[in-house]
Amino acid sequence: MTVWFLENLEKFIKSDPSTSRMPPICVTFGSPLVGDFIFNHALRRESWSHYFIHFVMRYDIVPRVLLAPLSSIEPELKIILHFLNPKHTTPMPEPTEEASALYVTVMRNASSVASHAACHLMGNTNKLSDTLLSFVELSPYRPFGTYVFCTGDRELVVVKNPDTVLQILFYSSQLSSEVEGPEIALRSVKDHLNYQSDLQNLETKGVAHLDNLQGLPLSSNVGAAGLGLVLNNLGLSTRARPCLCAAGELEDQKWRNLEKINKKKIDIERGLLALEGYKTRCEAGRVSYYDAFKLSKDTDDFNANVKRLELAGIFDEIKEMLKRYELPDEFEGHREWIDIGTRYRRIAEPLDIANYYRHLKNEDTGPYLIKGRPKRYRYTQRWLEYALKISAGSSGESCFWAEVEELCLRTINMGLFEDVKAHILSLEKQVDKWVQDRELGDDIFFEDSTFVKWWKTLPQLHRSGSCIAKFINN
Amino acid sequence: MSQFSLFSSGIELANLVVSSGLLKLSWDKISELYTELNQSEEIRWKVYQQPQSNCIIVAFVVSPNRTKQLLEEEELVPSSSLPFFHFLRTKIDSSFSISKAAVTLFDCVLDQLSSFKDRVGNSISMIITGHCLGGSVASLFTLCLLKSINQPGTKRPLCITFGAPLIGDKGLQQAISQNLMWNSDFLHVAASQDLVPRFFISPYNPNAMEIDSQIGIYKPFGIFLLCSKYGCSSLEDPEAVSEVLVAMDLEIARNKPPNEQWHMFDYGAVVKRLMSTISFKGISQLSEMIECPRQAGIVLQLQAIGLNRRQQSGDSNPLIAKLEKCEEAFVSKRKMGFDPSKKLNKRKEDMAKLEWYKKVSKSEDKGYYDSYKNRGSKKDLHVVTFKKSLTNYWKEMVAEVERMPQKEEASFRTRWLYGGTNYRRMVEPLDIADYYKENGKKDYKANGRSEHYIKLEKWLEEAGKPLSSQVITRKQNVSASLTEDSCFWAHVEEALIQCELLRNGQEEESTRKKLIEFEEYVMEQIKEYAVSPEIFLGGSSFMQWWKDYEQIVGTSYKSQLTDFMKSRLYQQYH
Repeated sequence: MTVWFLENLEKFIKSDPSTSRMPPICVTFGSPLVGDFIFNHALRRESWSHYFIHFVMRYDIVPRVLLAPLSSIEPELKIILHFLNPKHTTPMPEPTEEASALYVTVMRNASSVASHAACHLMGNTNKLSDTLLSFVELSPYRPFGTYVFCTGDRELVVVKNPDTVLQILFYSSQLSSEVEGPEIALRSVKDHLNYQSDLQNLETKGVAHLDNLQGLPLSSNVGAAGLGLVLNNLGLSTRARPCLCAAGELEDQKWRNLEKINKKKIDIERGLLALEGYKTRCEAGRVSYYDAFKLSKDTDDFNANVKRLELAGIFDEIKEMLKRYELPDEFEGHREWIDIGTRYRRIAEPLDIANYYRHLKNEDTGPYLIKGRPKRYRYTQRWLEYALKISAGSSGESCFWAEVEELCLRTINMGLFEDVKAHILSLEKQVDKWVQDRELGDDIFFEDSTFVKWWKTLPQLHRSGSCIAKFINN
Repeated sequence: MSQFSLFSSGIELANLVVSSGLLKLSWDKISELYTELNQSEEIRWKVYQQPQSNCIIVAFVVSPNRTKQLLEEEELVPSSSLPFFHFLRTKIDSSFSISKAAVTLFDCVLDQLSSFKDRVGNSISMIITGHCLGGSVASLFTLCLLKSINQPGTKRPLCITFGAPLIGDKGLQQAISQNLMWNSDFLHVAASQDLVPRFFISPYNPNAMEIDSQIGIYKPFGIFLLCSKYGCSSLEDPEAVSEVLVAMDLEIARNKPPNEQWHMFDYGAVVKRLMSTISFKGISQLSEMIECPRQAGIVLQLQAIGLNRRQQSGDSNPLIAKLEKCEEAFVSKRKMGFDPSKKLNKRKEDMAKLEWYKKVSKSEDKGYYDSYKNRGSKKDLHVVTFKKSLTNYWKEMVAEVERMPQKEEASFRTRWLYGGTNYRRMVEPLDIADYYKENGKKDYKANGRSEHYIKLEKWLEEAGKPLSSQVITRKQNVSASLTEDSCFWAHVEEALIQCELLRNGQEEESTRKKLIEFEEYVMEQIKEYAVSPEIFLGGSSFMQWWKDYEQIVGTSYKSQLTDFMKSRLYQQYH
């Protein structure tokens, strides 16, 4: 619901900028998990995750239930939910047995999820943890937003890092001893009803933030005060602590990576300016830089190629980091990076296309758009499409030349205009729009450009009625 | 510091394995199979289909009596007599040995297993499991499966052994552990109370420690899940596994009478206990002194496997330091691992520079081959630098491919072959130029050619697909493309030498024959549009040869090539 609201909020603000609305806030108490890892990633990309605050009692089973596959807990869950239903009229005996069964199953599955995540957080390099996934079903549900854990000892612990939340969800309900078993199991059910009483006297409670996980005491003997006490109150064992450290470290590492990438902006800017200068110089000679690059006759073309490769190196590195989630989730939503990415894509991709068709790579690899397009352009295009909230693939102006090359080949090889007519019409329509929106330069209309030369081979009848005829000297 | 060296994830991985329930699932099948084992049977195996999933379990058990017999033999069988496992060999470390006990048992069921393997294919998930020597057989069977899983989309098998003895030497360990995927396909469960997993590595076993004998010492591979009554942990680095197995042996021997009767160890109880402790915090404690999470991880691991109980006094266990060292070395080895994609863009820049060099040389009517050979200007010297970095890159790449087991190698090759071929065609001529610059040097192909060019060319041939298929497209593009035979210039240099010989009146007959062969070779290349038109540039060595040759053979001599050259048809070759 809040997600829907947030999505529409931007539209409201756009439609009527005078009203500065308060963004909504979503507060839940003992809510089951809602989304998967991607959901969390997407909310953080939009910087929305701080609008969600989830209160969770230390033992409450409900927020943890979906860490187990539903099929494994269905019968017990039914009875427990019935018990928890405030409207159930007939008094019901405490579901001791079901609570125990549910607790054990949920904990076992939560343990799998938490350990699998911890292996990743700790940078485990072996593939066993992934191989196991083809044999066992791991719940896809993951926490998102800010969590507030109620330790039951007049303390609230605020946790923002979703990786940490996941670990705490498991570790904080572990038992200290076997005797505790049945009691805690029952408590895990009853805690779900205790939010009101526990949160009543909020002003008497201490609030601790578990944000900086670096200096975390690893030994549970350090428990007199401070962070150590908080961890002990949450019941986090010695084993849990390296996991929390790892979650914090991974997050920090992401920000350090971002810093590293931000430092490259200077190099990128230099490269972009060089390519833009190259384009302008070509245009001064009434040649599209695409065509000039495809011929690669002059030193200037060669220098542009070196710049193209330098930039490719940087953007490939960014792409690799994104693929491995090594940059903060917010990265793909950074205005500045979206702009740089778009500028890069528009200026550099035509050169990659020129290079591709110059070396006839289409002959053994297939059309550029299908097999040859480097991922760095797919990524940067997606950034923009997310930011503008337009459908995937609708910002394909940087692939214009690949479309032209393929159409050239098709009209030469098959000769039949009718077969490709629909394709040509749609490209012309797009070109009209791209040029008017200044997403595509008008250098494509130079007299000797590959595009114009090809376009002029089309039937006269078609050309005279075309929406781009106005751009081309006939 | 990077993420990878800060933490030790052994405990978490072990915990994942336990809570996945796969140990219990596998062990249940094994104990079921034991009840079906006949008195007279040596080994028994069976396939269990899992209800409601596309997963099967293949279990192996071996009769306890036979086990006892076989464990007495520590003999190893060298890979030369194991044709079935030849695919594991790499070109660099080509030999390994496998325990005779395991091979003997495996041979008993090999035929049945082969036909089973052909029947099920690679599309379903398979757990291969076994106890004790049954585990050894399970490992060998899994190795066979690895041979045929390479295409993406095929399911990786998982081998889970319980209390299996070590089965191979350092060679086998290297063959498996250098492949990240392969090594992770093996999970060996070893309880501290069970002697068998460390039987062949135990300092108390005189046979296993014989260093001077021909038999190599047994080495672990795969991931080990070590458990004690305190918990469990997993170890991946084979060095660390060896250390810990030996330490466990010493620890247990301290507490047990040495001549205790050997018996089959029951893993059912171990698995059950591990499962039941998932919800517990455990009793592990850390001293307040420890601040580094990795060290904490290692201490917790040792506590879990029962090796860190005895010193409460604070003097640290030497094993901790050892394991920390192991982990560090292991991780840095991994990180050092050659990642070709990282430097790829840099090398592309080098190639672009070379391409430009080629272009400039062409405009000087020389061709980059001769331009480089003469070293007339500053730009020729620059080339040396990026030629060197390119050569280093591809030499390393080829060496890396060589280290891979043959199966993996094939898929790797196809990905890099395009770049490799371009590199070879562009750079090898420069090496040839260097070679013949030294006076009196002859026969580059036999004496001067670097191994990595030979490999790259061989792989292209084996790939079977010519890079640009049709002559017509080659014709369209010949002016921009590189000469396909990267040794073309070596042929030209040889022909030049032969002309020189003829002029000095030596070796008349055979030399002429060689020159005619060269003519035919060149004509063939021209017809196929396989040579770059740059060879016809005024200052090229090829044209130099033609001038020499034309003089030698005189005007009356006629052949396809002389026609082509005299009529200046080559001017239209582009």
